[in-house]
Amino acid sequence: MILLLPLLIALLGAFLLLGFQNPRVATRFALCVGGLEIASLAALVWRVHVDGALQVGRYLRADGLSSFFLVNIAFISGLVLVYASGYLPLAGKGRFSSPRWFYALVFLFLFTMVSVCLSANLGLLWIMMEGTTLASALLVGFYNTEGAVEAGWKYLMVCTVGIAFALFGTIVLYLAAVKAGMNPAAALDWVALMDAVPRMGFDPHLVKLAFVFVIVGYGTKIGFVPMHSWLPDAHAEAPTPISALLSAVLLNCAMYAVMRYDAIVSHATGPAFSHTLLLIFGGMSMVVAGLLILVQRNLKRLLAYSSVEHMGIIAIGLGLGGPLGLFGAMLHTFNHSVAKSLLFFSAGNVRHNFGTLRMESITGMSRSLPQTSAALVVGGLAIVGLPPFSLFISEFAILSEAFSQARYFVAALVLIVISVVFGGFAYHFLHMLSGEPHGAPENAKLIPSEYMVMGIAVLCLTFFGARIPHLFGVFVQEAMVVLR
Amino acid sequence: MGLVEIATGKVLSSFSVFLFLTVLLLVVARRISTSVLLFSVQSAIIAAGVFATGFQERLAEAYVVGALVLLIKVIVIPRAFFSLVERLKTSRDVKAWTTPTQSVFIAAAMIYLSYAAVHSYGQAVNVPEDSLAAAVALILTGAFLMVSRKKALMQMLGLLVLENGIFLAALTTTFGMPLVIEIGIFFDILIGLLLMGIFTFRIRETFDHLDVSKLRRLRG
Amino acid sequence: MKMAINVLQALILILGAPLARGVIGKLKAWIQRRQGASIWRPYADLAKLFRKEDLVPPSASWVFRCAPIVLLGATIAVAAFVPVVQPSALLASWGDFFLLVYLLALGRFFLSLGALDGGSAFGGMGASREALVSTLAEAPFLLGLVAVSILAAHADIAGMVTWTLHQNFFNVSAVHILAFTSLAMVVLAETGRMPVDNPTTHLELTMIHEGMVLEYSGPSLALIEWASAIKLHALLALLIALFGPWGMASSGSVEAIGLALLLYCTKAAVLMLLLAVIESGVAKLRMYLVPDFLGVASAVSALAVIFTMLVKR
Repeated sequence: MILLLPLLIALLGAFLLLGFQNPRVATRFALCVGGLEIASLAALVWRVHVDGALQVGRYLRADGLSSFFLVNIAFISGLVLVYASGYLPLAGKGRFSSPRWFYALVFLFLFTMVSVCLSANLGLLWIMMEGTTLASALLVGFYNTEGAVEAGWKYLMVCTVGIAFALFGTIVLYLAAVKAGMNPAAALDWVALMDAVPRMGFDPHLVKLAFVFVIVGYGTKIGFVPMHSWLPDAHAEAPTPISALLSAVLLNCAMYAVMRYDAIVSHATGPAFSHTLLLIFGGMSMVVAGLLILVQRNLKRLLAYSSVEHMGIIAIGLGLGGPLGLFGAMLHTFNHSVAKSLLFFSAGNVRHNFGTLRMESITGMSRSLPQTSAALVVGGLAIVGLPPFSLFISEFAILSEAFSQARYFVAALVLIVISVVFGGFAYHFLHMLSGEPHGAPENAKLIPSEYMVMGIAVLCLTFFGARIPHLFGVFVQEAMVVLR
Repeated sequence: MGLVEIATGKVLSSFSVFLFLTVLLLVVARRISTSVLLFSVQSAIIAAGVFATGFQERLAEAYVVGALVLLIKVIVIPRAFFSLVERLKTSRDVKAWTTPTQSVFIAAAMIYLSYAAVHSYGQAVNVPEDSLAAAVALILTGAFLMVSRKKALMQMLGLLVLENGIFLAALTTTFGMPLVIEIGIFFDILIGLLLMGIFTFRIRETFDHLDVSKLRRLRG
Repeated sequence: MKMAINVLQALILILGAPLARGVIGKLKAWIQRRQGASIWRPYADLAKLFRKEDLVPPSASWVFRCAPIVLLGATIAVAAFVPVVQPSALLASWGDFFLLVYLLALGRFFLSLGALDGGSAFGGMGASREALVSTLAEAPFLLGLVAVSILAAHADIAGMVTWTLHQNFFNVSAVHILAFTSLAMVVLAETGRMPVDNPTTHLELTMIHEGMVLEYSGPSLALIEWASAIKLHALLALLIALFGPWGMASSGSVEAIGLALLLYCTKAAVLMLLLAVIESGVAKLRMYLVPDFLGVASAVSALAVIFTMLVKR
């Protein structure tokens, strides 16, 4: 029952929200539903931590890995909802500009993402992953401007094609399972597959073919280069809270799916094949994103490419394997989402005050918007991996794994790209922060919704950078155990 | 042998040939309505294949899936497309980057490629080569349609053809997936098409045309 | 006995050609909800033309005068190639399908020369267009026949028909479907039907075949009209023989021949109905789109040849 609660709350909340005409009442109702959702997710996570994996029926299951990602979803969606409550009244353009549609779609989006993490069946996983694309397409195109419509269309098209390829990969894996003698009704169940794969002889060619299609397909949703073309557009043109949700949560959910498939394939044919593919895609994403960061002109596009780069780091961590590599990758999914949310929230504030996101026309922020600049600085330092923030820990773990496996090329690549990105961010941010202020109200302060969430994010980054809370570490460990 | 057995046998052995024909005709079609008609013919052929498979393998689920294919892909979706074309008041021409002659040579090359690909993997699975090659050819054709057509509606159609190919691949190799999953996939496709329809209206309103090759504001 | 039946086949094709044209015209009229002329009208037209005077332009040479005769001779030779009621024909073992294609080309070549020789502008225009269409149609024609002959392991028409007779109707072969599609498109182009050319047009600027015969009159025109009717009938019979010959007589008995003739008439009627539907439903292609049409036919026939390698059926 507790498994179904987060799903039901999100779904019902989405539909009920459509009935509220008054924007303020709708916002408050949305915040309440959000609070309930987070509470139910926390309860679920705690129950899984105490009791072990939970299963309801044939299709829904929560284990250590799901609960880790659910923590991520809960935390970030809480921040996003609070931020959105203050953001929406200031924005207000577009066909669905009424908050009830916005929040309804957000909860539908959350429903699909939670379902992805709770799927026991790979077919259901696919259906819900496609559902995330559909639920967020209207959110990306929310503003109805030229850029938003183009970004929304591209997002819908590219991701649907990519996910169609993932469907093909799922089918091939199903075929391999049925051919090896598994019961067709259980051949898509992840636990049954993990159990059967080492015992029965799965055709290695089919399994590898399946993984190739899956990594290309779900990799489109993650934003691996060269399937990333939708990402900068969608993350830049969407409303800021949605950009934060996309970058911080959706990419992680897609990575979750790839982790599940990677586990199956590693058990079947040994980790060499899948991990090599992950390293290749991760490396390509890092290099291309790192280079493109240098030439960006739009702040949110810059942040979007940074997401691609960090997904590359996570992929490299996964591809390296080993206890430290996996630990670093998991931790990085969480740390990156916190830092990226902070950055996007600051970018939203910049947009409100300056009216544009073109970095060359923004100068003197440190004097005109001191609080926002502080948030931006903290976020920027965090995102490039500097201590004392938490991303340093996760990237350090991944690099240590690379060195301990004597993969010096991978380590060098990561270090070089991180340095390049550091240079890029420094250049862009310094340009925005220094100089004569113009075009913004003097000393604009952050509204409560904004500084609350930004403060929480900064605290989280610093705190986790100092030392990872014991409970959190335990969660990561439980997640890693599932993948063994 | 009863007449039904003969009919199913013949359907199963020959439906890939007709699918290749629809592939060739799809890439040369010059009007949106012709392309949609060819898509519905294609889906009807696949539905016939589903029914024949269900009869031969004695799978009750296959009948449900076949009925779904018939209902959704042969009737509902083409109807929606036709009404969309009318409501959008767009020109009925399929703007393509390639001439019909080039397109049909590319289609011929794709068919050859799909046979080559299936041949190399054919030993792993003992399925009729023709049907699997037809599935791969449909996937390639769908991708080709999406890339070579400038109209947003044709991109949607290309996506549908691609999905037809994947569905056919699932049908030939594993006689379909569990019923619930199939239904979920259909549902997803319907909602996806609905959203794409909404977006085409928005594109038309914002940009005043439906030429997606001109959506190039966001670059870099 | 076989020889007598072969002669009968050739006579059916030659003498029944105007009837075929008449039937097509009647079917088109019915589809267009008109009464249409009687199906025997083309015979009356030919008879009328034979009674009229043969006018020759003053600038014309011997080419103009003998072009109709060469055309008719070549087309009659083609008609002698095609099996109708039994899997053999008069000239069937004298040459293969290359000879058939190039006999048609010979007739067409002389017709174009005659049109140029007539000295009128429309003749020249029709001749140049005909040259374009026939050049482009040659490749798919040959390739389609090559594909079928590779499967049949025979190059002569009789051999190909015999092979097809032994195949199971329901094992539909990809090669045959593709070859039929491309050959059907070529037949439309070669016989000057829609969508390549409109045989009933009176606008000279849209004419291809009709433009070439504008200067002819009297018996010469009768010969040309008859030859084009024989060409249509023979090509239709060729399609039937190559792709649907089942029912042809294997023995020489009267019942078998009668049955085969009846079946042939039925199949021909079906093809003619199809032709009438296409002619009524499709608009004529503009000249610059005809290469696209024939390009599609070429690609389809090339694919048919490739498929003979892939599909061992």
